[in-house]
Amino acid sequence: MLNLQNITGGQTQDQFTAQFQSSDVNWYDEAIGPDGKARAHWQGLLAWLRDAGPEGYLDAALDLGRLRTESGLAFVATGRPEAELEDALPVMLAADDWAELADGIVQRAELADAALADVYSERRAISAGLIPPGLIYGGSSFAAHCAGWQRPPRHWLHIYEADVARMSDGSWVLLADRLDAPLGDGWLLANRIAATQAFADPFVDLGVRRLASHYAAFQDHLDQMMGWDGRLALLTGGEKDPRFFSHAYFARYMNAALVEPADLTVRDGAAFVKTLDGLKRVDVMLRGVPDSAVDALHQPKRAAFGAPALSLAAQSGSLKLANAIGSAAFAYRALAPFAHRLSQHLLGQALKLPDAPCLWLGSARARDQVIEERDDWRIEPLTSDQGTPANLEEFEKTDDMRAVLDRAGEQFCAVRTPRLARTPVWSGEGIRRTEWMMRVFACRTLDGWSVAPGGVASAIEPGRAPRALGFGKDVWVLPDAADKGEQQVSGLLKQQFSIGHLRRTGRDLLSRVADELFWLGRNSERAESVLRVLSVCLDRHLGGNRADSDPEVLATLIETHASPDEDLEGLDRYRDAVHRLARDHEEGASIPAILSFLQSGAMRARASISAESWRYIDRLCSDRRWQSTGPVRQNAGLARLIEDSIQSLAAFAGSAQDNLTRNYAWRFLELGRRLERGAQIANLGHRVAGTVHENEETYLRAWLTLGDSASAYRSRYMMTAQAAAVIDLMVLDETNPRALGFQLAALERVLSEMPTDIPYRRGEHRRALALLTDLRMQDASTLAEAEGSERPHLRTLMKGCEDGLAEVSDLIGRAFFAHTDAPEALVSHARQENRP
Amino acid sequence: MMLDVRHRTHYRYANSAVFSQHLLRLTPTVTPGQRVIMTDVKIDPEPDGIDTHRDMFGNVVHVATVSHPHEDLEIIATSRVERADRNALIFDTSAAWEKTRAAALGINGVSPVIEVSPYAFPSAMTVADAEIEAYARDSFTANRPVLDAAQNLMRRINEDFEYTPGVTQFDTLPTESFRARKGVCQDFAHVMLAAMRSLRIPARYVSGYLRTTPPPGRARLKGADASHAWVSVWDPAFEWIDFDPTNNCVPGDDHVTLGQGRDYTDISPVSGIVVGAGRQVLSVGVDVTDAV
Repeated sequence: MLNLQNITGGQTQDQFTAQFQSSDVNWYDEAIGPDGKARAHWQGLLAWLRDAGPEGYLDAALDLGRLRTESGLAFVATGRPEAELEDALPVMLAADDWAELADGIVQRAELADAALADVYSERRAISAGLIPPGLIYGGSSFAAHCAGWQRPPRHWLHIYEADVARMSDGSWVLLADRLDAPLGDGWLLANRIAATQAFADPFVDLGVRRLASHYAAFQDHLDQMMGWDGRLALLTGGEKDPRFFSHAYFARYMNAALVEPADLTVRDGAAFVKTLDGLKRVDVMLRGVPDSAVDALHQPKRAAFGAPALSLAAQSGSLKLANAIGSAAFAYRALAPFAHRLSQHLLGQALKLPDAPCLWLGSARARDQVIEERDDWRIEPLTSDQGTPANLEEFEKTDDMRAVLDRAGEQFCAVRTPRLARTPVWSGEGIRRTEWMMRVFACRTLDGWSVAPGGVASAIEPGRAPRALGFGKDVWVLPDAADKGEQQVSGLLKQQFSIGHLRRTGRDLLSRVADELFWLGRNSERAESVLRVLSVCLDRHLGGNRADSDPEVLATLIETHASPDEDLEGLDRYRDAVHRLARDHEEGASIPAILSFLQSGAMRARASISAESWRYIDRLCSDRRWQSTGPVRQNAGLARLIEDSIQSLAAFAGSAQDNLTRNYAWRFLELGRRLERGAQIANLGHRVAGTVHENEETYLRAWLTLGDSASAYRSRYMMTAQAAAVIDLMVLDETNPRALGFQLAALERVLSEMPTDIPYRRGEHRRALALLTDLRMQDASTLAEAEGSERPHLRTLMKGCEDGLAEVSDLIGRAFFAHTDAPEALVSHARQENRP
Repeated sequence: MMLDVRHRTHYRYANSAVFSQHLLRLTPTVTPGQRVIMTDVKIDPEPDGIDTHRDMFGNVVHVATVSHPHEDLEIIATSRVERADRNALIFDTSAAWEKTRAAALGINGVSPVIEVSPYAFPSAMTVADAEIEAYARDSFTANRPVLDAAQNLMRRINEDFEYTPGVTQFDTLPTESFRARKGVCQDFAHVMLAAMRSLRIPARYVSGYLRTTPPPGRARLKGADASHAWVSVWDPAFEWIDFDPTNNCVPGDDHVTLGQGRDYTDISPVSGIVVGAGRQVLSVGVDVTDAV
C-alpha cells in the first residue's frame, strides 16, 4: 500500500503550490509565463490544486493509476497487481494555441496523403526533382505491389497520428509522422476516461473539450464508406503486439470486429472473416498490422502468421483500408527532409508545422555534414522506429560509420531534437519540470480531417527518439467561444453512435475464437483436475492415516497427472512429482504450464466472455504464488493456494454458466469443459480402479474425493467405499455432475445443437452418441468384476472413453476450426538454372 | 527466330488442399528484341477466377484462386515469341556509368529517369557488402562506358564463379554465393546486380527461358529445359541491354524474356499460398523449341 504521508513528504499546501510556480525564466514553461505568473489557461487547474493540496492531488492520482490498471486488465494481462502512482498532472492548452496546432496537423495529414497518392501512381514529385528517387526506392518500405494500380485507393490515409512538441520559442514542431498502422486511439480514449473520472471536478468545471464528437464524426465517415450493411473490422497482430491494448480498446469503442491476420481470407477480390457461420465480407478495415506483414502472396517472407493476400482485396476496391497498404513509404521521418518543398508543390501552401531538423542520409552532402558534426546528430531509420537495423548499433561503436552510411544511406536519416518546452510533472519528491512531447490523433470525417482535441503526453529525454505510445499524461484543451455549442452537439451525436452500437453487436463468432473458447473450457477443467489431485495428496501427506498417506498410494494418485520418474521410489518419487506439477513449465500437466495456456487463451477469447469471468481467470493466472521458483513446501500455505485456485476456477465456471447467453460462444466453452472432464474421469477410473489394489478402500475413497463426490456417496450408502457402488456413482450415474455419464450426456446434447448443413448427425455427434450409448448399456457390478488384479470390463470402458473423447475432440476441431488453418507458402519454384 | 515455350508446373499435396492462391508471371513481355505472337495460361483444376493486371515493372501478372478441395494442381503456360539478334551494339559508345547513375538518382542537376530509378538501389536480395563493392569497382573504373564495364563484369563473374547446381537455395543471398564463388543462374544474376547497385548503377533482374541444344547424336529430352535468369543494364541511348553472366553472352536468338524486376522476388514465375495441403511435391518442366 502506498502511504500518503511518506509520499507527500509532509509537504504543506503552500510548499506544494510554490513548487508548482517556481520555474526557470530562461526556458519555455507550459504553466508559467515569462513574468513568473501562471499562464491564463493554467489558472483554473492551479486553483483546483491549491484547494486540493498535495493530499487531494494524490488521491486523484491514485485513482487515476487504479483506473488505468483496471482498463488495462480488462483488455490485456499486464500482470500489474497494484495501481502504480504515476505523474497524473494534465497538460493544459489554450484554445487559440490548439487551433494553430490542429491546423498544422490537418495540413500535414493532407500532405502525407497527397505524397503517397503521388509516389504510387504519377510520381510527379520524383520526376520533378522534389524528392530524390532513393528516398522511395532505396529502402524496403515502398510497396511495389501497390504501385501503378488502375484504380488506386481514393484515400491513402484515413488516420493520421504525429508526435509533436513545443520549441523553446513557444512554436510547435513535428517529431514524427505515424502513418503505417498507427491506431493509438485506444490509449488516448482510455487515458481520457480514467482522467475524467479521477479529476472529475476540474475537468468539468474548466469545460475541457471532449473527444466524443471527434470519434462520432469518424464513425460517420466509416459508415459512409461501408454502406448500410457493411462490416467494420480492426486488424491486430494479437495479444503479443505491444499495441494490442489500444487495438482491443479502440475496436470496442468503434464497435469493430477485432480480427487477426489468420481470421481473414481473400477471394473473388474481397476480404472475408472466417466465422462459424461461414465467410463474412469485410468492407472497411482499420489496420493495426504494418504494411509489410499483411500480404502473404506478395511478401511471403515478411507476412504475419496466417496473413491472406490483403492487397488483392484493396486493389479491387472492395476492401477499404485505413490506412492503405504502402503508407509506410512516408512514415516516421521520410517526409521531414522534404516537407516544405512537397507542401509548396503538392498542396500549393506553405508548410504550417515544421519538422525538427532532419537530414536524409541518401545525400552525400548530408552524410558529410553528419560525420563532421557527429555529436549533434542522432542517426535513425528513415521510415520506422521499429526494428532498429543491426548496423545502426555499429555507428555508436565503430568509426567506419562512413562506409556503412555510404552503402545504405538511403534508409537512414539524422535527427537533431531542439531544446523543447517544459511542463510540470509530479514525481515522488514533488513537482518538477521536464521536457515533453505528445502524440496527437487525426482522422477523416465527412468534412475533411479532424484532430481529436487532446493527446497523450510524456516526458522526453533530451536528444532521444520519441517514446513508444502507451498511457501518458492527458492533454486538456480549453474551449473558446466558438466551442460553446459543442457539448450539446456531442451529446446528440453520442446518441446516434449508440444506435450504431446496437445494430452490429455480436453477429458472428470467429472460428478462431470458437477454437480458443473450446480450449479455454478444456484447460480450465484440466487445471481443476490437477489441482484436485494435488489437494488430495497434500491433505493425505499432511494429515492422513497410514493407509492414506502410504507413499505408493500417493505416487499412484499424483502420477495420474505427473509423468512418472522410474528411477525414484517411495516418498522421493512422490515429492519429485509434486514439485514438477507445481513448478515445472516443461511438465505437460503442471499448473504453471496450464495457467499460461489458460491465460493466453482467455485473453484471445476475451471479447466473448464476461468481464467478471475474465477477472476470475486473470486473478488465478497472475497469482504470483504460482510463479515462485523456490522448492515446494508441502504445508498449509500450499494448501491455501490450491484452495484459492480451485475457488477461482469454480467462480469462473459459475460466472460463465450464469453470465453467458446460450450462444455459440457458451456452447464451445461447454464442449471443451465436458470433454475434458470426461477424459479426466476416464483417466482416473482407469488408473485408480482399473487395478485391484491391496488397500482398495483408500484408492476408492481418493477417487470419490477427487470427484468431489464423497458426501454424495456417504448420503447414499452409509458404508465404506465399495467398488461397484463407487463405479456406479463416478461412471454411470448421469445425475452426478462429476460422473462420466453426466459429461457424455451433456456433450451429446450440446453437439446436437451445433450448426450443420447435412441432413444426418455430424461425425463428432455420432461418435459422442456412440460413447454415451455404450456407457448406458453397462452395469456397475459387471464393471466391478475382477480377474486377477485387474478389472477388464472397467479398463476397456475407460480406455474406450478416453480414446473416443480424443477422437471427438479431433472431429470437432476439423468440423469447426479447420478453416482457421493458416495458409502457408507454396514450395518455391524449382531453381532457375540453365546452361547449355 | 521463332520459339515455342511450354512451361508446366505441377503441385501434388499430401492432404486435400481447401484453398490455394497463385501468383503467376508466365506471360512473356514485349521488348525491343522480342515479339509475342501467342501466349496462354491453363490451370487445372479450374480456378474460381483469374485476375490479370500489370505490375509497376511492366509485367503481366495473373492471380488465380482455387477455393474447392484439390489434391493437385497443374499450371501450363504456352507462348510463341519471335526473337531478333541485336548484333549491332557498340558498347564503347555507351554513356559513362557515372552518367547513368546520375540519371537514375537525379543527382548533379540531372532530372531522374523515373522508369529507371527503382532499379538503381540494392533490393532485399541484392544487398552487397564491401567485398562485392570492391569487385564491382575493378570493372567500373572512372568514366568507363557503362555497357563496356558491364560486359567486363559479366565476363569476370562467368570466369570466377563455378556453375554448381544444388549448393544454393532459391533464397540464397548474393553475399553468400559471392563468398563461395558458386551458384546457378539466379545467383550469378543477383551477384552482378548487387555489384552494380552497390555503385547505384541501374540494372534489373530478367526472368526467362533459354533454348538448349542436346549433345550431338542424342534426342532432345522433353522438359529438360529450365527457366533462366540474367541481367539487364540501362544506358540512356541503347536503353535496356541484356547480359547473361551464366553464359557470358548478350542474349539473342536463344533467350526468351518473361519479365523483369528488382530481383527474383519481384518476378518469380510461380508462387502462392495454400491451406491444408500438408507436404507438397513440386515438379516443373520447361520446353523451348523452334516453332514449326
